[in-house]
Parts: sequence; structure tokens; C-alpha cells
Amino acid sequence: MSNLPGSDLLNGDRDVVMSCRVRLARNVAGFPFVGRATHPQRREVLETVRAAAGSDEASVGLVGGRVGADAAERLAWIDLTSLPKRDRQLLWERHLVSKQFAEGDSPRAVAVSPDERFSLMVNEEDHVRIQVLRSGNALRDAFDAAMRVDAALGGRLDFAFHQRWGYLTACPTNVGCGIRIGVMVHLRALRVTNEIEKVKRAAKELHLAVRGFHGEGSDATGDWFQISNQRTLGVTEAGLLEEFAGRIVPAVVAYEREARRVLMERQRTLLEDRVFRGISLLRSARLLGLDEAMKQLSSVRLGACVGLLPGVSVDTLTRLTIQLQSAHLRAADPAIETEEDEKAARARTARTALGEWP
Amino acid sequence: MAAPFRPCDHCPKPAVVHNTAIVNGQMTEVHLCEEHAQAAGIQMPGQAPIHQLLGQLAQVGAARPRGPSCPECGHSFHDFKTSGLLGCAACYEAFASTVAPVIERAHGGATEHVGSAPTRADDARQRAALLQKLLRELEQAISAEQYEHAADLRDKIKDLRPTAAAGDKDGAP
Repeated sequence: MSNLPGSDLLNGDRDVVMSCRVRLARNVAGFPFVGRATHPQRREVLETVRAAAGSDEASVGLVGGRVGADAAERLAWIDLTSLPKRDRQLLWERHLVSKQFAEGDSPRAVAVSPDERFSLMVNEEDHVRIQVLRSGNALRDAFDAAMRVDAALGGRLDFAFHQRWGYLTACPTNVGCGIRIGVMVHLRALRVTNEIEKVKRAAKELHLAVRGFHGEGSDATGDWFQISNQRTLGVTEAGLLEEFAGRIVPAVVAYEREARRVLMERQRTLLEDRVFRGISLLRSARLLGLDEAMKQLSSVRLGACVGLLPGVSVDTLTRLTIQLQSAHLRAADPAIETEEDEKAARARTARTALGEWP
Repeated sequence: MAAPFRPCDHCPKPAVVHNTAIVNGQMTEVHLCEEHAQAAGIQMPGQAPIHQLLGQLAQVGAARPRGPSCPECGHSFHDFKTSGLLGCAACYEAFASTVAPVIERAHGGATEHVGSAPTRADDARQRAALLQKLLRELEQAISAEQYEHAADLRDKIKDLRPTAAAGDKDGAP
């Protein structure tokens, strides 16, 4: 039996790349940046952007090829100021908004497409944050969609722009293209073989940021890393995309796959031990903390990707990384009150998804 | 030697806290009695642990001039240094000499944008130039007491401002 992952898993590099993202930062000319703007000004920005973006995928430029709004799904405009804390956290856990945005208290809103592959944050650090997400490695597709939205919004709003510095952003590190291209990769084998530091050093030399599961300020929970560009000035959008999709991502993917191959060949017992302990725990635990769940999911995902766990779907494991987060459990089961209730619900959700034992 | 008597800003009691701050370029003196100082969240010596006193000293230092400010939004250089964020588009010009090296360092030595420009950039530049011209005319009209002409100009300026200019925002792409 082949130990290589199935071809569908290699499609989009899903054995290593969980998801990818393209984000654009823009500001509306004539208003102070968000940090400096008064609440009435922020409300005015919100209304201006909302009116310009409209309420469906066509008006925001996502389905440019189709004529008329009939074919386009409606966007959900969510006002964060009136949203309960748990729901704000839910948006953050789904990577649709940043933590800062979820926790703030000033006028702000997010538009989300029904498939959750697009979100538009208004009044985060910048007036406008366009975000396109895709599962697996589909950077070019995400990039095209983000550019279409930029063109649509840029045709109706005056974005703050400077001849020398390009798109102006609240933080000078985002000027120029205002673009972040990033991938969420699962580098479990590189962690086991102690090569993760090498990856981080190489990334630094290439002006890349390496962050944890939830982006800025988060640790790398369970070996998931977000790798994204830091340079946004003196480079073109298309050039960055080529560098990322054509060079960086393939290199990281190849490096992790090689580490997996080495583990299978030379340290199979160690690998099997971690993978089988992980799956046993997730199938049997009655109380499961988030850190432990993410750690074991990481080992199990590695096992599933190298063919040690036939019958365990990698997509199920990917879904569980989101479903086992706190707000998701609490949304699925409103009866959860205590920390222990949450741990029990997390264990139950994992057991149900992976096959309960005994 | 006793300090000269100075009443509290809020009551006739003697002030025990004296602070000088510069706000928007204006020097402001604050004198508070013990009670009003506490109400303002300032603790008296002997009540506060040493690290808090040191913190207050740092704040007194911070009340000194906050460096140049952006003429457009009032964001000070101190604000930029502490938050890492600029206040508005004009801050890029107001703090050009400090911001430019920061940008170049952050972007591996790059000195200018080579990527795309917004769809409406040219349009916006033309409008900004027209706006400047109308503002100059408005000033002249007011000083010449041509109020009817000034009112016309004001309407035109209002139409040109970005918020009002988003009038076509409902149109489909």
C-alpha cells in the first residue's frame, strides 16, 4: 500500500496548505485614519463604504463575469457594535475578522459572503480591509478576486493615495500596494525534525512574516503557521503573487513533504507513536482543553496525510480545528456554562467526528 | 521654605499638586488640592507604591512638548512614536523626514511605490487641484465682501468634498 497521500489531497497542496488569503488595506480620502477619527467620522466612513460596496457579490465586484445581481449571493453586513461577545469571537475563530476588530468598541462592521470566502472589514486599523480566503493553495484565484473587489470599490471611492508611497495606510509598514498575501501551512513534520527554526530564519531573510494560527500576536498553535509578505513597497502586486505562488509556497510545501518522508523512513516508530496516541486520545477523551486538542489534531493530521490513518479524512480534521474553538462549541451548544462543560463538549465533538472508542 | 500659596483650580483650598502641560501648543497650568487631585486620579506621595510614582514622573515628562503635529488632524509626533500609527494621509507629509526612513527600512530599502494606482487617482488629483483653486477664490471673495459669489463657491466646494463626492456610490460597476 502506498504511503503517499491521495491525489485529491495533493490537489491544492492540501496536505500542507490549509488555506490561503489575500488582504488589501485601503483608506477613504478626506477622512482621518480610524485611530484618529471621531465616532461620528467612523460612522460616516462606515456608511460611505457600505453604500459603495453594496449588498451583494456583484456590487462588490466578486462576480464580475456575470451580468446583473440575480446570479450573485447577498452579503451579510454585520454590525460589530451591537453583536454579542460570543458571536464576535466566532467571526474571529473563523478568520473572518482580526482579534483587534472583534474586541474593539467603536463603529465598525464586516460584510461576509455566504460561502465565507470573502470579508470586508470597515474601520479596522484602516477604513477598508478586503480579505479573500480560499481553502488549500489557491492563491491566484484569491488574488484575482481581491483585485476585482479593489477595482470595483476603487471606482466608487477615493482611496487615499500618494505618488511616492502608493496607497496610504495608518501603519507605514503597509504602504505601497497595501497587500498581504499569506498561506496557513501545517508544518508538523518540520517541528518534529527540529527544522522549524530554519524555516523561520529563511523566511526572515526573504522579508516574510511567520505567525501563529490566529495571525499577529498568536503563537503557532499546534504547528499551524501563517506565512505572509512584509514588503509592500517597491514591489508590484503581480510580482508578489509570483514570488509567493511560484516560489515560496512550493518551497515550503516541498520542505515539509521531505521531512514527512524522512520521518516515515527513518523514525517510523516515533511517528506512529505520536499519531496513534493522538487519534486514541481524540476518540476517547471525555474532557479536552483547546491546547491539547490542537496538539493532538496536529499529530493526527500528519498521520492522515502520510497514510497512517486510512479512513480518517484530512478535511474532517481541518474542519475540527475550527469547530473545537471555544465560541464555536458554545454556539453549537448554548447549554455550555462552565469551563468543564466546554471541555466536555470539545471532547464529544471530536469523538463524534472521528469515531468514538470504546 | 514654604511654597507661595496657590488655591486649587476647583475650590479655595491650597493646591498641593502643580502640573504644567502643553495642549495644542498652549501651555496650561493645573493646580489641585489633595481632594481634587485624588478625584482626578492622581495619588499623593506616601499613598502610592514607588513604581506608580515613577510612572507619574514619566507622565510629567511626557507632558512636555509632544513634538510637531500634523496641521490636518492634530496627530503629534509623540502619538506616532507611541502607537506606530499615523493619523491621516497628510501625516505622511507632516512627518516626512522621520516617516520616510521608517518606511524605507520596513520595506527593504524600497523608496517608492511601483504597484497599481487606484481607478480614480487621476480624477481625485484633478479634483484636489480644483478644490484648492476654489478655496483661494473663496478667500478672495470674502475679503472683497462679495458674499453672493462666496455662497456659490461654497456650494461648489461642498460638492467637491470626498464625502459628498461619493454621490455616485450607488451605481453598479
